[in-house]
Amino acid sequence: MFLSQLRGELRKLFARRRTYLGYVVFIVFEVLILTLWVKVGREKVAELAERNLIPMDQLYSSLTSTYWIMGGGMFLLGSIYFALVGGDIVAKESEDGNLRMVLSRPVSRLRVLLLKYFAVIIYTVTFVIFVGITGYGMSVLALGTGGGLCVWNPNLYILSVYPGWGEGFTRLFVGACFMGLSMCVVSSLAFFFSCFKMKPAAATIMALSVFFIDFVLQNMPFLRGVKHVFITYRMENWAYLLQEEIPWARIVESYAILSGLNISLFIVGWMVFQSRDFKT
Amino acid sequence: MLRIENLEKRFAGKIALKGISFEVKRGVIHGLLGHNGAGKSTTLGIVLAMISADGGEVFIDDVSVQKEQARALRKVGAIFEAPSFYDYMSGWENLKVLVGLSGKFDHGQALDIVERVGLSDRIHSKVGAYSHGMRQRLALAQALLPEPEVLLLDEPTDGLDPEGIKWFRDFIVNLRNERGMTVLFNSHLLSEVELMCDRVSIIREGELVFEGDVNDLRDDRLGFKISAEPMDVLKSVVEEFDGEWLTESRCLFPPEHQVANVVERLVGAGAKVHEVTPVRRSLEDVYLEFSKESSCS
Repeated sequence: MFLSQLRGELRKLFARRRTYLGYVVFIVFEVLILTLWVKVGREKVAELAERNLIPMDQLYSSLTSTYWIMGGGMFLLGSIYFALVGGDIVAKESEDGNLRMVLSRPVSRLRVLLLKYFAVIIYTVTFVIFVGITGYGMSVLALGTGGGLCVWNPNLYILSVYPGWGEGFTRLFVGACFMGLSMCVVSSLAFFFSCFKMKPAAATIMALSVFFIDFVLQNMPFLRGVKHVFITYRMENWAYLLQEEIPWARIVESYAILSGLNISLFIVGWMVFQSRDFKT
Repeated sequence: MLRIENLEKRFAGKIALKGISFEVKRGVIHGLLGHNGAGKSTTLGIVLAMISADGGEVFIDDVSVQKEQARALRKVGAIFEAPSFYDYMSGWENLKVLVGLSGKFDHGQALDIVERVGLSDRIHSKVGAYSHGMRQRLALAQALLPEPEVLLLDEPTDGLDPEGIKWFRDFIVNLRNERGMTVLFNSHLLSEVELMCDRVSIIREGELVFEGDVNDLRDDRLGFKISAEPMDVLKSVVEEFDGEWLTESRCLFPPEHQVANVVERLVGAGAKVHEVTPVRRSLEDVYLEFSKESSCS
């Protein structure tokens, strides 16, 4: 029964136009970044390739451009849409009065929240995968299928080159899945605020504020020594999957922390939601 | 079927309900009457577990709503004053999503209910394009799916046109007559309660001030009016029976006197009696009486 109810929740989520806003913006973003990559980037990339002794066809490839689309766009742009959907999921229904209809049915509040939370998580993960697939598809159209993967992340001190398409693709695919899990933190934050008695826009803004404050602090040079305490640092750890020697212990630790945070946000949100009165 | 025991609720320190208790028997349409803000919707909200009670308990078929919410509400359907559906989805999709929360969605049963509420033609249109009356019909359809035994109605006829109100009233009464549905009908419209309900509870400022049978209230006579002439005979009888002048030839006599005695005295004195009308207390009279009593106290 849970699955059929979840289908209903997803039907509601994907019947709303604003759910698709993120998809449209990312398609535009992908077109823009690829146009610039082709028109302006080629020379710069050649320069970079020569300076770092990396073969041009590994740096200037569809896999590499997909990496830039995902890595560059998801944190700052994707988080907006995850916060928007997560912030809406409870607060918008509460504001519109739909929740009264839902809660008049013989269903517990915990189940209602679980359905909504799962729907948001599914949206988040599938959105990241969607960006990966469309980003790669467009990159192939623009640059062709060949070439390897070159990963450069100065924040995590990663510079890796995978000359073969197979390994590059596998690494990027697994990385994208973990990136999806990382982005669930933004959705969980927005979901958490959405459980309070507040406007959906307020829940979205609160979630983004927490996320961006954490991101800004994490990037402060004087806080570099304690960056492991910041959520956004832990979220970035998906990129370690693209490092030649994968630091599994660090990845497991980070995702355990993120999972714990997600569960805690859900439980506290549920407790708040459970104690609320729904009145006209 | 529905038992409300000693409900208490405060909102930000302000008392909303003061120990409300009443019972709705199976197959009865029970009206919950009161001013706006009297505590009707709060009571209904607690019955549906949307509002937590500070004290007291609600039982539906002996299952506590506070302790076993999902099980207790399995037999309940509810409609609100302004039902909020997902406007961007069709009526049918709304039904699927909402009814799916109670269990399996039965297409055949849903089609039957949709036809009964008269929404077959528009059920696949977006709810955003529905009129208020159509939304109420859809709300009724969702409340009747899968098969509730208790229907909770929170001012459902507000905003409907007279034709819509009559349709709604007839539909609910038919449900009670045909299926033995138990109904708790929340309203501030006395006429609706009077026309539809078997029993009524009156709430004022969070307190239950009256509970009783609607017919008993209506039959509770205030007296009788008599129209007769000549005036001098009428005048003497008015004085003798503590009557009250209404017009030159019409008088109101209190209920403690028998109609037959007054008429006999008039006819015996040579008067012509044109009309004798019993004056009954309307629900409005009762409501205003209890409202006044309670505000005085």
